[in-house]
Amino acid sequence: MVMQALYDTLKQRFPLGELTVQRDNLAFITVEAVRLYPLLRYLRDHEGFSHLVLLTAVDWLEDGQFQLTYLLNNRAKCQDVGLRVMIPRDKPEMESIHDLWPAAATYQRELREMFGIDFPGSPRLEEEFILEGWHGIPPYRRDFDTLAYARETFRDRPGRETRDPAQHMKQQLYGDKGDV
Amino acid sequence: MIRDVLSPFTAWKNLFREPVTIKDPLNERPGSARYRGFHQNDLDKCIGCGTCETICQNGAIDMLPVDGVPAKLGDSGLRPRIDYGRCCWCALCVDVCMTGSLTMSNEYKWIESDPDKYLYMPGVDKKHWDNAELGYRRHEERHLSPGDRVDMPELHAEERIGSFIEMVKGYDIAQAQLEADRCVSCGLCIASCPAHMAIPDYIKAVRNGDYERGVQLLYETNPFSQVCGRVCTHCCESACAARHEGDPIAIRWLKRHIIDQVPQERILQLIGKPAAPTGKKVAIVGAGPAGLTTAFDLARLGHAVTVFEAQAAGGGMTRYGIPEYRLPYDALDRDIAVITAMGVEIKYNHRVGTDISMQQLETDYDAVVLAIGLHQGRSTRIPGSDHPQVRKAVDLLRQITTGEKIDVPKSMVVIGGGNVAMDIARSMARLQMQQYGEIRVTLTALEDKAHFLADPVEVKESIEEQINILDSRGPQACVIDADGKLLGLKTWKVLSIFDEDRRFAPKYDPADEQIHEGKMIVEAIGQMADVSLLGDALTEKLEWNRGRIQIDPNGRTSEHWLWSAGDCVKGPDVINAVADGHRVATSIHCVLTQQEAKI
Repeated sequence: MVMQALYDTLKQRFPLGELTVQRDNLAFITVEAVRLYPLLRYLRDHEGFSHLVLLTAVDWLEDGQFQLTYLLNNRAKCQDVGLRVMIPRDKPEMESIHDLWPAAATYQRELREMFGIDFPGSPRLEEEFILEGWHGIPPYRRDFDTLAYARETFRDRPGRETRDPAQHMKQQLYGDKGDV
Repeated sequence: MIRDVLSPFTAWKNLFREPVTIKDPLNERPGSARYRGFHQNDLDKCIGCGTCETICQNGAIDMLPVDGVPAKLGDSGLRPRIDYGRCCWCALCVDVCMTGSLTMSNEYKWIESDPDKYLYMPGVDKKHWDNAELGYRRHEERHLSPGDRVDMPELHAEERIGSFIEMVKGYDIAQAQLEADRCVSCGLCIASCPAHMAIPDYIKAVRNGDYERGVQLLYETNPFSQVCGRVCTHCCESACAARHEGDPIAIRWLKRHIIDQVPQERILQLIGKPAAPTGKKVAIVGAGPAGLTTAFDLARLGHAVTVFEAQAAGGGMTRYGIPEYRLPYDALDRDIAVITAMGVEIKYNHRVGTDISMQQLETDYDAVVLAIGLHQGRSTRIPGSDHPQVRKAVDLLRQITTGEKIDVPKSMVVIGGGNVAMDIARSMARLQMQQYGEIRVTLTALEDKAHFLADPVEVKESIEEQINILDSRGPQACVIDADGKLLGLKTWKVLSIFDEDRRFAPKYDPADEQIHEGKMIVEAIGQMADVSLLGDALTEKLEWNRGRIQIDPNGRTSEHWLWSAGDCVKGPDVINAVADGHRVATSIHCVLTQQEAKI
């Protein structure tokens, strides 16, 4: 109810997408990328959502989109609201919000490194965050092949060997029987 | 104000609480209850499917044989070994484990000076955490692959009982892909298939929607996919890794789905033309699955193959034994049409022994294959069983297929508890329904319900079709009145079927006697091969083994020119006959090409 009321209030000022109420004090709202910045500022300045809990991304590879989730907290009312923004995967760029919450710069740096999402104007964006000397596609993208990377990057310990179950069973159970 | 004064005192109550700190943090610091620590593997539960190895994103897992764990059907005998130099304890291997054998303890300390020790085989390399109660376990319900099979659309009992229309409708593309998605491609099934079909690969073809590739894979090992896609005994499904925590993959239905998707002309293009003629001639007696598989293989290799078939159409038992509601004749015809398109000539209505002798075949052909199946019904030999209204199931089923007129009795009794008994009971029930609008079929089996020889699904469907199934009843006599009219079957309660040495020696309770009303009695207690076609001289010359022609592992008899395949020497089903056909064809091809080399 409370979250619906918040949604209705916001709706009078901003065009909003879908509302998903997760709990009495947690809801997600989908918005267009161009609406995000003013909406965040409004929530911060007029609705008491003063704290940016986190900023993260999901790779919807099949749909060709990245989802950005901005989670805000209203300490006084003990409420959380998440804003979901879909951006095209082939032009992964989003307006920076570091001037609303300075801490956002760190999240944006991380997303730039792990997903390859650009936030023009965000401080120290180009600097390496936790990966050092990383080339190739960012590792949190779903088309990054972890196993292939592991095989290319790390050597097998001597003594490693494996058997294919079907081949092993053929050899053990029926391999030469009946063949001429 | 008051609170500020009192609060120091309320803190005193904490004196009586358990401390949250650990007394001896260097020695006692157990991982939390769901900690992802060192692996545990229940070796008896593990089936060596290698799904853990496949999912591991670090390439940390190997599958290796272990002493004392032999490969057997449904268990590769391999067990996972984890390289702890690469493992990142993500627990995907635990989440994907098909049996729940692989888990993680909450132990996290292990110190060695020899790094090779960290190539670790959980369950095999004994560790103190092997039986640890705590640690990471897979979620009770949430599994990475769904446990429930996609339901097969079927005709309900009321819809199907009045006709011989095929009851299983087949998956559509969306259903088939969902079902194929459940397969983890471990390949444990291949060993249990008598023909060792490339099961994971053709299921992958369904997943990719590449049905043409699927057809090619099917034809590599089995020219009877229409048939096997419908009536196979699917040994593969009893070895499927998915059966441990859900339904096995519907492998048989997926095979049918593939072959149903590709038009006949395209199938012929996909398997291509046979090899150039070799000039060798092979005669095959019997156009059943064994004979025609041999014919298909030999024709593809360029040999000239002639099949002699006593009946007017091919398929053997699959046509004249299996009822049309399980295997429609046009499906069977499609399989046979591909075989004849390879240049195989089938001479129908040619009964060897009558129309042409075995001696003649020996003279005219480079090799002869006997694949005559089991078309002679066995008799119970109880008193009255020579009455004309006491029939054999195989004869009656053949009559139904050929469309011969049958005097459908208003009531009847079937003796037998196997699939053939169910086939004849259900076929006659349909005829009764068509003719009289009601069903009065009683089926008596020696076995109790728990030990029925028929497939459980056959029993279930028979009951749905109002067959009155009575278990543990032993036939004693056919009851005939003074005018010679058959009244029914007298049975006694079965106390036991086998003696201490597991020999067939049924014991009855004569006090528990019942008469089951029936104007016809059908014996469905087994079949034998009709070997009269061999003639006396050949019968004498051949070596026999317990009433069957003796063959070597390649299907060759004691006569160098004669091979035998299928039910008449091996049994007991279509896919074994197909496997047998391949074996015999390989053997004959080998012998024929060696002869060539000598010249």
